[in-house]
Amino acid sequence: MGTIRFSGVSKIYGGPTGVRALENVDLNVAEGEFVALLGPSGCGKSTLLNLLAGFETLTDGVLSFDGTSISKPGPDRGVVFQEASLMPWLTVWQNVVFGPQVSRVPRSVYEPRAQELLRLVGLEKFHDALPVQLSGGMRQRVGIARALVMQPKALLMDEPFGALDAQTRLSMQELLLDVWQRLKTTVLFVTHDIDEAILLADRVCIMTARPGRITRDIAIDLPRPRSIEALTSVEFIHYKATIMAEMRGAHAHH
Amino acid sequence: MEAGSLFRRLFRSRGGKWLLAAILPVMAVLLWQAAGTDGALAGGALPTPDRVWSAWITWAFGKAGPMTLSPYIGTWADNLGYSAMRVAKGFALAIVVGVPLGAVLGWSKWVAAMVDPSIQWLRPVPITAWLPISLAIFGIRDFGAVFLITIGAFYPIVINTTQGARDVEKSWIRAALMMGARPIDVLMRVVLPAALPSIFTGLRIGLGIGWTAVIVAEMVAVKSGLGYVLWDAYYVGRMDIVIADMVSIGLMGFLSDWLILRLEYSVLRWRRMQSFNG
Repeated sequence: MGTIRFSGVSKIYGGPTGVRALENVDLNVAEGEFVALLGPSGCGKSTLLNLLAGFETLTDGVLSFDGTSISKPGPDRGVVFQEASLMPWLTVWQNVVFGPQVSRVPRSVYEPRAQELLRLVGLEKFHDALPVQLSGGMRQRVGIARALVMQPKALLMDEPFGALDAQTRLSMQELLLDVWQRLKTTVLFVTHDIDEAILLADRVCIMTARPGRITRDIAIDLPRPRSIEALTSVEFIHYKATIMAEMRGAHAHH
Repeated sequence: MEAGSLFRRLFRSRGGKWLLAAILPVMAVLLWQAAGTDGALAGGALPTPDRVWSAWITWAFGKAGPMTLSPYIGTWADNLGYSAMRVAKGFALAIVVGVPLGAVLGWSKWVAAMVDPSIQWLRPVPITAWLPISLAIFGIRDFGAVFLITIGAFYPIVINTTQGARDVEKSWIRAALMMGARPIDVLMRVVLPAALPSIFTGLRIGLGIGWTAVIVAEMVAVKSGLGYVLWDAYYVGRMDIVIADMVSIGLMGFLSDWLILRLEYSVLRWRRMQSFNG
């Protein structure tokens, strides 16, 4: 459950010029795997995620999730957005239970689950707070809880920590490692931060822009469970050097 | 104490704000009173404030004896009530039609392409131009006035709702879809709440136009209410009642706007905190 398969996927945005956001992308993600898409802005990594989420439709190729092709968004693919994108008029609790409510999940089922998730992301004391009263990191915790409460088979994260300060980002990365270690959901994680990609993922896929494509797929064999201490290990530095060289090389082709 | 700091302190206190707001009207009334001689102004055309006040008191609290036929004794509250009820009905109707329609217009490009041009094409037709049609269809009856108020209030409500619904953050809609929301959920639980600040702007403008419309309608299309009294009093030369009537209209418009503001204040707590923090 939660297997992702991109095969020969292209996305061309309309208009006379036709921007090639993605060209002939192949990517397989196995159940429970954590894959990071790493690349500069404009390389189509968010487009890739949006296609999988069902927010956009592909121009060419095949994209399937658990063997069926994607036609629209759905709770089996939980999305965590760049700036959390919580509904500002709903409290933390109301934001988290929005999904179960519109999906007609019985209260007796979703309530304990939502409570448990709020505890997991450390926000049980902020039940009735409005998003505007929370810090950026706390808002993104709600965003994660909101996606997980639907028990998705895959979690799609679009630069979820990109807008946070360095310290908050580290603690969010730790939280995500912890959550993933427990739930083992398939994760597709979009980022432009090399450290973040290596620290979190089992595989780092490097993308280049114009046209957007995956140029390298690097397995990260750091031991699990991981913590932010991994950031200073010799193996980590080695991966980082490899990826940096690869990204610089990819850049030099242009 | 210097004048600047006194002003600042006035501005900060609640009572002080009322005081500041009262300066202009009080001055206007005093000037008006001072300019009049023998209780009249402009060659006798306009009564002074004291005459208006006493006429108003009689209009509001006077007890008509069995032999008096004057319509300006003790009938103020009734007429105020008629007008207010018409505005309430017409306004409610405009909301019931305008808000859902605006939400759908802002949300669906297809519906907008089909309906919006017609709205924009009918909108320049002023309420007064609808009077003959209203009279022809509804006659001298209550609903004629309600109809005009609805038309007047409808446009600002539908246009502001459309604008608000159109400006909803795409990621909120995507988030809702990702969580399994159906189109009706997106409309009711995302588009409408997100558009509420704009909707309230539309409500305030619409209600103001509603008061304009009720006066126009009552001047022509019904035989009661503040608008009817205004025109009737003018015909019999009772300018004191005309002015008291005008002040009453202003007061009612002011009060109903204040009610909407109170409602907005309690409903849009999230919005208020947002602007406070940002």
